[in-house]
Amino acid sequence: MAKFAEPMARLIDELKKLPGVGSKSAQRMAFHILRSSADDADTLASAIQNLKEKLHLCSICNNITDIDPCTYCANVTRNQRLVCVVEEPTNIAAVEKTRHYNGVYHVLHGALSPLHGVGPEQLRIPSLLKRLENGSIDEIILATNPTLEGEATAVYLTDLIKRPGVKVTRIATGIPAGSDIEYADEVTMLKAIEGRREL
Amino acid sequence: MPKQSEALVLRTYPFHEADLLVTLFTRAEGKVRGVAKSAQKSRKRFGGALEPLTYVTAHWADKEKQELARFDSFEIISSPLAVEVNYPRLLALGYVAEVIDQLLPDREPSDSIFRLALSVVKHLQAGPIWMPLTYFDLWIVRLIGLLPDLSQCAVCGTALNSSRAYFHPLADGLLCANDKRLASSEISAESRMIAAGMFRAPVETFTSLHWPRQRGADLRRFLAQSIERHIEKKLVTASMLDRI
Ligand SMILES: [Zn+2]
Ligand SMILES: [Zn+2]
Repeated sequence: MAKFAEPMARLIDELKKLPGVGSKSAQRMAFHILRSSADDADTLASAIQNLKEKLHLCSICNNITDIDPCTYCANVTRNQRLVCVVEEPTNIAAVEKTRHYNGVYHVLHGALSPLHGVGPEQLRIPSLLKRLENGSIDEIILATNPTLEGEATAVYLTDLIKRPGVKVTRIATGIPAGSDIEYADEVTMLKAIEGRREL
Repeated sequence: MPKQSEALVLRTYPFHEADLLVTLFTRAEGKVRGVAKSAQKSRKRFGGALEPLTYVTAHWADKEKQELARFDSFEIISSPLAVEVNYPRLLALGYVAEVIDQLLPDREPSDSIFRLALSVVKHLQAGPIWMPLTYFDLWIVRLIGLLPDLSQCAVCGTALNSSRAYFHPLADGLLCANDKRLASSEISAESRMIAAGMFRAPVETFTSLHWPRQRGADLRRFLAQSIERHIEKKLVTASMLDRI
């Protein structure tokens, strides 16, 4: 690999740590930054710095936010008694895309994952229990991923949060919309049949 | 040349932007590591087949002078997702996957270990996890060639029979009361009987027995220690199993 001046090499090394960025792309980005105006470079640097300084976790739902509580938890038009539990903050966007969900969220920041050493202690479960104890929740929708880890997490949470007056539901899994059942694998088909609904 | 084999998925890691690095335990070639292209983004070709301990028919190709295979597709034969997955079961499956992954070298087939893994995964579908885990620990340690003679002291050779016996993370086999080291743990005569029984019968024999966690716990600890000594590191899932 070509030898670069130290400041250049350092920037390339940092950029290479970003997901999906290899040596070639990192070099291209670094040279682009070098060629751009001092203002542009400053804006980029301060945007990165700002991100780390201004963003933190919502004290209610653990979503990543710059204001506390986050926009979902602070929104009075949302049903604060309906809570959708997701693994990661990025999952919220997926639920929001439907434009049909009007409740709030709880972010676990992961799922039970023995092979990665992640047990219940590593997940943000206590704050969910606290919300429940306040008696301010009617329904919890478990929207963890339909993987082995996500399923185990949902089952684990169900045992913890089931109590009178609180409905616990699991998102449906099965055949993706617009696909053909002929190509569904047997687990997907099984889940689709298990999760069938009356019309 | 395209290849095909029955296989168990051991684990996956994100790889590059959209791919997954997959470790498979194949019946035909043992442990095979490779890349499942676009598997992170699109589940089309792999569906739910990439979950740990899914039993699949795997199709792959080996590229010349390359360590990593190219996985083309997996068809599910049976999936651990077909029945409810609770946390103990997730842990037990994780333990089986981690132990096999750590103990087996790449590309060395072992039909007996493959059959052991299949039957243990099957018995982890329902009921308590401790019986199938004890059976798995015993047999995998034996099949890898790490099992010492459980009937005699490793130091003096005295028959242990029903007398007290001990083990130690740094000792090769079991120890009699005279030869036990400081900070040894005891392994009960009952657990040694369990071991003897499990070497004589298939796992099905034990399904109807009441099997609480304490039963054979000392034996499992001894076996896990033997595994950890061999791989020269701690098993991540073993300490998590201790905590549930
Ligand atoms: Zn919030
Ligand atoms: Zn002795």
